[in-house]
Amino acid sequence: MSRSGVVTIDEVLADLKARFGDKIVDIKKLTPNQLEIVTTRDAAPDMALYLIRKYRDCEAHLSNHVATDEREINGHFGVSYWISINAGKGDLWIAVKTYLPPDDPKIKSITPEYPGANWYEREARDVIGIEPEGHPDPRKLVVPDDLPEGVYPLRRDYPHYAKHITEPKYEFKEPEKYEVIVPFGPYHVSLDEPAHFRLYVEGEEIVDVDYRGFYSYRGIEKLAESRLTVKQVPFIAERICGICGFTHSTAYCQAVEAAAEIEVPERAEYIRTIMLEIERLHSHLLWIGIACHLVGFDTGFMHAWRIRERVMWLAERLTGNRKTYGMNVVGGVRRDILEYRRKMVLDTLRELKAEYKSLVDMVLSTRTFVKRCEGVGVLPYDKACAYGTVGPLARGSGRKIDTRKDHPYAAYKYVDFKVPVYTEGDVLARAMVRIEEVWESIWIIEQALDKLPGGPIVAEVRDIPPYREAVGYTEAPRGENVHYVMTGPGNRVYRYRARAATFNNLPAAPEMLKGYTVADAPLIVASIDPCYSCTERVIVVNVKSGEKRVLTQSELVRLSRKKSMRLGL
Amino acid sequence: MHYISTLIATVIAIVLGMGLAPLLDGISRKVKARLQYRQGPPIVQTFYDLAKLLRMESVLPTESRLFVLAPYIAFASALAAMTTLPIGTIQPLSFTGDIFVFLYVLAMVSISMMLAGFVVPNTYSGIGANREMMLILSIEPVLGMGIGILALLTGSLSLIDIMRGIATLDFYKLLFAIVAYLLLMYAIYVEGGFIPFDVAEAETEILEGPLCEYSGRLLGFFKWALLIKRVVLVWLYSSLIVIPIVTALKLGAYLSFIVTFILQLFLTVVMYVGIAVIEALNARYRIDHVISYNTRVLLVSILIFIVVAVSVYV
Repeated sequence: MSRSGVVTIDEVLADLKARFGDKIVDIKKLTPNQLEIVTTRDAAPDMALYLIRKYRDCEAHLSNHVATDEREINGHFGVSYWISINAGKGDLWIAVKTYLPPDDPKIKSITPEYPGANWYEREARDVIGIEPEGHPDPRKLVVPDDLPEGVYPLRRDYPHYAKHITEPKYEFKEPEKYEVIVPFGPYHVSLDEPAHFRLYVEGEEIVDVDYRGFYSYRGIEKLAESRLTVKQVPFIAERICGICGFTHSTAYCQAVEAAAEIEVPERAEYIRTIMLEIERLHSHLLWIGIACHLVGFDTGFMHAWRIRERVMWLAERLTGNRKTYGMNVVGGVRRDILEYRRKMVLDTLRELKAEYKSLVDMVLSTRTFVKRCEGVGVLPYDKACAYGTVGPLARGSGRKIDTRKDHPYAAYKYVDFKVPVYTEGDVLARAMVRIEEVWESIWIIEQALDKLPGGPIVAEVRDIPPYREAVGYTEAPRGENVHYVMTGPGNRVYRYRARAATFNNLPAAPEMLKGYTVADAPLIVASIDPCYSCTERVIVVNVKSGEKRVLTQSELVRLSRKKSMRLGL
Repeated sequence: MHYISTLIATVIAIVLGMGLAPLLDGISRKVKARLQYRQGPPIVQTFYDLAKLLRMESVLPTESRLFVLAPYIAFASALAAMTTLPIGTIQPLSFTGDIFVFLYVLAMVSISMMLAGFVVPNTYSGIGANREMMLILSIEPVLGMGIGILALLTGSLSLIDIMRGIATLDFYKLLFAIVAYLLLMYAIYVEGGFIPFDVAEAETEILEGPLCEYSGRLLGFFKWALLIKRVVLVWLYSSLIVIPIVTALKLGAYLSFIVTFILQLFLTVVMYVGIAVIEALNARYRIDHVISYNTRVLLVSILIFIVVAVSVYV
């Protein structure tokens, strides 16, 4: 590490060359801060592990892991490990890539040494067929129980309309002699999406946990690769999540912009920042409400959601939608923030601040609530690193990481904000992180509005050059989102891999649940912050007569298309 | 003549228990809603809910007859408990030792809930029944101790005589009586399963525990029984306050009946509203929190009981 404590590309390269020497096949600088190192099949897992360990002080972790089917380009499958350098020690993404022959797609698993890779390697096996050798738990992860063996849906020769209906097959862990199975999900009042936690319980204490999820795996990546063009994908990327959709579409757009070297106008960056923070506000307020509800504190729940309604209203005024804003396009945003709206936003924020303060005071002075959160679901710092957890979960366990600070994107490089970090690692610490982040979000929006520059809001985007790779990254309310995009010919996406924050966080849930009671399970699971969908609606109000008219779907579609045409999409 | 008046009083107690329980729950819901800036359901909403449930057929997850019987046992026990309490100045079922009957039938509500939870092969029901058992084992003795101290002080084993006797206690005994009242306040709040002590029927954790497998008519009766149990507990406490005061005032028979009844009703509603406020401002405890609190209170109550017994009889 250099004297300033910042890791640079040259330094990483020199170190890797010295250590791996002739095993390095190729070095590509994808973007100014994204480096790809192509290496041999044997060296790739070791190199990835080496980087994670070497930059442990920089909170480096496996941020994405992408399996690609590049048989039509070079006759091989590709596997790349994306490692991020965090903690403000350099804005750097290092991809370790290797190519595997299609008749023998095997690679050494790094899960035994780095548990954070567990789900990544299982997903690569499920969707492309990359066999992780020596993986401790090689069960199905993302594909449905009834998908036959040997069918890999994200291979290029697999049609997106294919259907398989066979007998479902899935094996859960066997309980020990005195353990009782408590099925927590797929449907449980405190789970808002289908997910199945199988709790192995002695008395009320949880001794082991098994997880089966991905019941709502929709194949968005396949859809993006096979049906849509580069410019259409942001709209489906936004629908990955019903709550933090905007960070997903931003991450996707940034990935394409980085790969195709598109310069986004500054005003668009600011507008994206404002919307990202509005989304964080609503998401955190929602979470505070849910946490209160789960421990039976319904007054906190109702008040949190009452305050959240202001944020939803604001989003609707600024974008036309309460959720799923539909604002992002490759190269910028679709809708400007008009001058007279500035005052409206500031007024709303002022009211929000006053109400939020009284809410936080009330929640934190409720002794029964604090007692339920304190010392529960502890995730120690070393475990948080080992699983590569991100977002408030990581920050509650003492990891000082925040994509907005470590890898500034959009307008975050121009604004000032703090990153709250707690070291206790319990549910209360995560709650405190979120509670304080709300204040920071309000502060960021105020700054961004103040500094909002003039100019265009969308860059002109011509044809996208094929076979370029890059990642786009955002700090979602739940943590770091990393979207990998490889462009294809004809303005298509060749490979799209969207990694949501929960993908890194959820594998750590069993660690947090063990040793606590069934009563704590909903709260602990919720402390990672699951997502669910909200409805959207559009009402056109005639300002002069005050008459309201609800648009029909076809009218909406027509208007929306018109707007897109105006932007040259 | 005596039998007829007993019969009439019993019927009044039963009707009162059945009618008051959903009404008070409705008031409680409204109060909570207002505290949460909500409109809230109408006050008679719980009547609608029960009426709907009682019209619906139940799904039976087990062959066991106990599963079907449990809600009715709970319902009958809760109403029986109501008949051993004074309505106005008349206690429908009054005899020496009725405090034991009261404690037993009250416990039957919880016991039938436990049985209902254990009889179905559902983990959540099992956990709920388990929690109910721990809760009852740790709080029922406190309730017993509280009433026991008052029985020692007044030298009576009948509820209404105890309540009347409190009016004639001397100063030192009155101090002990006040301690017993505080113990009873805690015991009644916990026994009623109000937040933060609603661990056995926690909806977001264990899907209402023993009630998890119930539906339709059986669920309706169970919910009704639990509501009546709450009314019984609160009514007991309001009687403990009202009757000594009215006795001390030495009014005529008819006047004291009317005054007592109105005050009982008024105090019950006031306490229910107070409880609703506490419920709205708290989160739920975990079972281990509850047990540790209960055990401490129980130890204290046993100590006081011994002190009272020694000072009264030695």
